[in-house]
Amino acid sequence: MLADRPPFEDLYRDFLGRIYAYVRAQVATAADAEDITAQVFMNAYQAYGRFETRNTTPAAWLFRIARNATLDHFRAHGRRERLRRTIEHQPVSEADPAGMAEEQIQYRALLKHVAKLPERQRDAISLRHSGLSFEEVGVLMSCSEDAAKMLYHRALKALRESVQEEMA
Amino acid sequence: MNDDDDLELQALRRQLDDAFETTRPRAGFEDALWARMQARRPAWQRLRDFLSGLVETVREVPAVPAAAVAAVLVLAIGVGVLSFGGFHFGGAGSTTSLSSGAQPGAAQNFNGSGGFGRLPSPGLQTAPTADTGAPKAAAPSNQSATNLYLGPAKLIWAGQLYVRPGSLPVYRYQEPTTADADRFAAGLGASPTTRPAGTLGDYAGDGFVLGVTGSSRKPPSEPTFFLTPDRSRLPAAGATATDTATAFLSAHSVSPVWPYLIAVDQVDGVTRVSYLWQFAVSADPVAFVVNQWGERYGLEVDLKDGQPLQAIGPLPLNLETADYPIISADQAIKKALASSASAPASAPTVRLTDAELVYVLVNAGDRSFYEPAFLFSGTFPFYGATHVKRVLVPAIAS
Repeated sequence: MLADRPPFEDLYRDFLGRIYAYVRAQVATAADAEDITAQVFMNAYQAYGRFETRNTTPAAWLFRIARNATLDHFRAHGRRERLRRTIEHQPVSEADPAGMAEEQIQYRALLKHVAKLPERQRDAISLRHSGLSFEEVGVLMSCSEDAAKMLYHRALKALRESVQEEMA
Repeated sequence: MNDDDDLELQALRRQLDDAFETTRPRAGFEDALWARMQARRPAWQRLRDFLSGLVETVREVPAVPAAAVAAVLVLAIGVGVLSFGGFHFGGAGSTTSLSSGAQPGAAQNFNGSGGFGRLPSPGLQTAPTADTGAPKAAAPSNQSATNLYLGPAKLIWAGQLYVRPGSLPVYRYQEPTTADADRFAAGLGASPTTRPAGTLGDYAGDGFVLGVTGSSRKPPSEPTFFLTPDRSRLPAAGATATDTATAFLSAHSVSPVWPYLIAVDQVDGVTRVSYLWQFAVSADPVAFVVNQWGERYGLEVDLKDGQPLQAIGPLPLNLETADYPIISADQAIKKALASSASAPASAPTVRLTDAELVYVLVNAGDRSFYEPAFLFSGTFPFYGATHVKRVLVPAIAS
């Protein structure tokens, strides 16, 4: 193992919550978020031997895996539209066992608004508030750092409008 | 664009920060997922760039002599026998001190009518066929600092090997079912929670979660349990890592019931207490179980900050056994050196100085085997580093 590569366990402990939050902001249920998060770390665990810190940061590496896994989730199951319907019309079930712990989280409503944003805006906000720099967000989204900033600010304003519309 | 003056957006950013900071998976998810990942540990730990698959050739094994005795070993029953030191068939000089496994503790013999017939042949992990011989493989990270060399080599035998003529037992187990896993979990006081694909089940008990997996062919591994405690509910740590690990295993009724050798290592910031699995072999003391790298293994307890993080070990299974005649020392040495013939001119020259009897798992579908073999080893220098070459020779006569 390379000297500057942290033990995978450290990565796991440091990033599990952040990756989960990133995924949870985009999918409909806590159960889906857990499934995707598990897949992310399973994949990362097996690929860690090939990870090289000189090419990317651990955060960017993990979030790339998470982003791909989330996209795969939508692609594979055609859930994009179902997600919209779920978010827009279906109240979150209080009896969902996997979501029990999340019922205590006061910001769930805000994340519902994030999930309703267009894909790239949603991604920009989720990655940025998961702790990535704009440079890292840009790399992950295949755009420049400045473009990532612009995208983020547009997403932020769109989110504000979405929240205000609901309050109105 | 500058939103610093936009108080609404600033407030929204703070709310988003809080939202992402407070959105976390349910309690227990982190440990349960870690347990599942640990169960796959060999897949990423084992010389990533050199996974070329276990060479499995099948050879004919003669019928078991009439006097051969078959037995059923019950892993869950037996007396824990603490054994100190490996078993070496002579040979001087350096040894490849690496970790390894455990063995059933008690046997319930019965008269068999003729062994297991054809057996798949055990082998070590090999380098890709295009390998030119230059050492470039490192030992698995959880083992010693030894650099393990998998490529071809010109071999010289420089040790001593004594083999007692006769036969050795081959052990066989039937792949456990989900019902077997459920029974094992119930014995530990755990109830089923989920049954993820590729596993025999996940379970939860009072203060711990349990996962059980079946055999794997690549890398070869036997059915395994992994037990992860709720670290907020652990008792005080023992005086030593071994004390803590042993007490932890005992408290969860998963102490090894076979002879073992304890090894303590530091692995990626974790203290690993390994109960290395041994088979008692007739008049000889013990034979370690080794994996496809020739590394000893067994039941492992990882400790973090002095407290148990997880225990991983072979699932207790019923083992059948049947005796097979074995090759002589001369035959074993000839077979060990035979690969020299195909070594390219650029291959390093290695003096094999040690040989020991080991047992190797060979997965064969619904039934798998622990087969005896001779593990030869020697070291050689290469660009300032010492490398270890190992050669595995099946002990069963063909």
